[in-house]
Amino acid sequence: MTAMRILRIAVFVLGQAGVVSAALALEPPPDPLKSPAWGTIYGRYFKDQKVVFDDRVKVIAPANAENPLDVPVQVSAEGLDGVDEIVVVADLNPIQKIISYEPLQASPDLAFRFKVEQSTPIRAAARTKDGVWHIGGVWLSAAGGGCTTPSYGSGDPVWQTRLNEVSGRLWPNAETKTQRLRLRLIHPMDTGLANGIPAFYIDRILLSDAKGEALARVHSYEPISENPVFSFDLKGSGPVRVSGGDIQGNKFSAEIKP
Amino acid sequence: MVRNSTGTSAVRGCCRALIGMVLAASATAAVAASVTDAMIANDQNTPNDVLTVGMGYSGQRFSSSTKINSDNIDDLVPAWSFSMGGEKQRGQETQALVNDGKIFITGSYSRIWALDQKTGQKIWVYEHRLPEGIVPCCDVVNRGAALYDNLVIFGTLDAKLVALNADTGKVVWTETIDDFKGGYSYTAAPLIVKGKLITGVSGGEFGVVGRIEARDAKTGKMVWSRPTVEGHMGYLNGKENGISGKLNATWPGDLWKTGGAATWLGCTYGADTNQIYCGTGNPAPWNSYSRPGDNLYSTSTLAINADTGKIEWSYQSTPNDSWDFDGVNEFISFDMKKDGKTVKAGAKADRNGFFYVLNRENGKLLSASPFVTKQTWASGVDLKTGRPIESNNRPGDPGKGEKGSAVFAAPAFLGAKNWMPMAYSGQTGLFYVPANEWGMDIWNEPITYKKGAAFLGAGFTIKPLYDDYIGALRAMDPATGKIVWEYKNPAPLWGGVMTTAGNLVFTGTPEGFLKAFDAKTGKELWKFQTGSGVVGQPTTWEMDGEQYIGVASGWGGAVPLWGGEVAKKVKDISQGGSFWVFKLHKSGKAAVAQVSP
Repeated sequence: MTAMRILRIAVFVLGQAGVVSAALALEPPPDPLKSPAWGTIYGRYFKDQKVVFDDRVKVIAPANAENPLDVPVQVSAEGLDGVDEIVVVADLNPIQKIISYEPLQASPDLAFRFKVEQSTPIRAAARTKDGVWHIGGVWLSAAGGGCTTPSYGSGDPVWQTRLNEVSGRLWPNAETKTQRLRLRLIHPMDTGLANGIPAFYIDRILLSDAKGEALARVHSYEPISENPVFSFDLKGSGPVRVSGGDIQGNKFSAEIKP
Repeated sequence: MVRNSTGTSAVRGCCRALIGMVLAASATAAVAASVTDAMIANDQNTPNDVLTVGMGYSGQRFSSSTKINSDNIDDLVPAWSFSMGGEKQRGQETQALVNDGKIFITGSYSRIWALDQKTGQKIWVYEHRLPEGIVPCCDVVNRGAALYDNLVIFGTLDAKLVALNADTGKVVWTETIDDFKGGYSYTAAPLIVKGKLITGVSGGEFGVVGRIEARDAKTGKMVWSRPTVEGHMGYLNGKENGISGKLNATWPGDLWKTGGAATWLGCTYGADTNQIYCGTGNPAPWNSYSRPGDNLYSTSTLAINADTGKIEWSYQSTPNDSWDFDGVNEFISFDMKKDGKTVKAGAKADRNGFFYVLNRENGKLLSASPFVTKQTWASGVDLKTGRPIESNNRPGDPGKGEKGSAVFAAPAFLGAKNWMPMAYSGQTGLFYVPANEWGMDIWNEPITYKKGAAFLGAGFTIKPLYDDYIGALRAMDPATGKIVWEYKNPAPLWGGVMTTAGNLVFTGTPEGFLKAFDAKTGKELWKFQTGSGVVGQPTTWEMDGEQYIGVASGWGGAVPLWGGEVAKKVKDISQGGSFWVFKLHKSGKAAVAQVSP
């Protein structure tokens, strides 16, 4: 009897939830980049969330990818206040999500390099405290093949001896009381899409200050380029601790001094 | 995952009965999911799961299941098969583990899968990213994983241990055993003893130093390590724990520093003695003239205290080994009934052709009987001293010359029995030993150690002894040392053996068959062609009241790489890579009748 009652309540609540979510169900706004995959991207990463296209979120990338294995991209949401997370996706890559960045105490901008499979929109989505995703992006032309080509590392034993080696440099800016961190790691960043080479990539990086307080957090995915290079604008000054690891449990930690 | 999806559908279906079932099912699943020491200790008596490679601490590979037996095995048919896929089709030497609705199998090139126990569908795969420079001597194999808590743990060819979440396949911890560039690798199945993960090392052909290590299975943190070459320091909780043996007692000069004795096949455990039993491999280099002395603890069985990591006893089968009679073979504990008494014994079928029975409490030799037809190197074993009675069959000293004089010796260096584990049935009192009949021409050459390079100092070529067979599955009576029955196989046997209370013995053949024999008579009762050579380890479990048999198929291992003339005989075997599961056939009608209430 009790079980039955609980069940009825459960069904009732479920039913209510269904009605509520149906009322709130949001349609994807029309895509200024006119990407054939926008519907899919929306459904996969932003479904039932508020999305606006916003010029304040800037993606700077070359018009043509000279090297599809190593395309430099800069993302900035400087004009927005209270950015909790920035997600960067390439619509037409076989693995769309490139990176997710939690600026915590850093400026909402970053730079990285990634692998591109074919010409594609690159979008950055910045989520502000009110839960709204502000999206900006550009089209990138590319000859392609960046995701399904074996990493250079797979034909070169360098990564085997230097795996997860960290190097970096800090450029302090006295005026803004920030410092720019440029970070380079040795890692093959294999996508798992090249024949016979399993996926193997760095999936997390934490930046913290000398006291161990977190400054910014990075979640990286398969499309990030081999031997990744990142730039971040961090608040304050002084040494920065870098720690993280890859999906096979290999860890790294280092300290970058000004 | 299964629990969640079932739960959801039940709520949508609005069926009280279903909800009750789901609640009950998830309660049991929660209990069964996490593997405890008590569950592992009792593995041999719980037919619904297989928690250890070896099917229990003692490694007897005996199942109490009788649903499949010598009377009904004609009805054994495939239930499903899983492809290990890709182009990575090399030797598949794994034994499946079964727990909580999942089957865990390891594969060539350091891969591991979790499969749905009911359907054979893949739940997750972990593919280890291997560097280019790995140096496994004898194919890119893996012999199985270990289960503990909610972890599945296995070792990789670049000498790492990886612990994965059993539900998701995500890495929980990873530890490096040693530098793969120094010749270290790992292929054995780890053993869990009292929350500790027990592992050895591979690389005996590259001058590594053998050792057994115990880590906290949940975290990977080292607890103790015990080197298997005399002169090296052991450690317990980070502190020095005494060197193994006595420096330079049985090794001259500095050769102990690259002494081999690799522990490449893992260990078994005697719960009643609290001893971990590990075989050790050949001393390095192969050329015995460069290392006069017994070269402890190479080619030995070691009994190591599970808590302290100290060697409690050792027995060396081939002192100053000159033939690569690598004594790594598994030591299986059993209670031997002889002359009205029960002896706490253990047995090992050694590469050198003798079947040794030891008292497992103190390592005293009880008997040593040949299990192959030809042993040129020794006429027997002195039961008083425990030492072989050699018959002047060592290859010659090369001195400073290019090559020493060659001899013909049997067994060959690939062993009267190699890695493939035998099985013991307490019901028949017999050991079932996968043996091979072959010899070799062998000669010595001068050699110096170079990091990461083969450290042999010997040349060799293998020859079959007989035209009609190389492999021989033999039933040995440990009390008498007599061979009770044998089955001869044309190609060398390279797969594990399993026996069941259903009066059955299972093993695979390079010709591609999984075969079943009558445990008492050796009569071949059943066979199935799996499409590639079977060098895996069969195992069995029960689910929903039915018994299942599982075995990996996929030709490879050391024979095609090192087999000399024998390699020619097996070169036309097709590569493959799949896991086969069998059950008793039921007619469609019967199956339907069972489903409807």
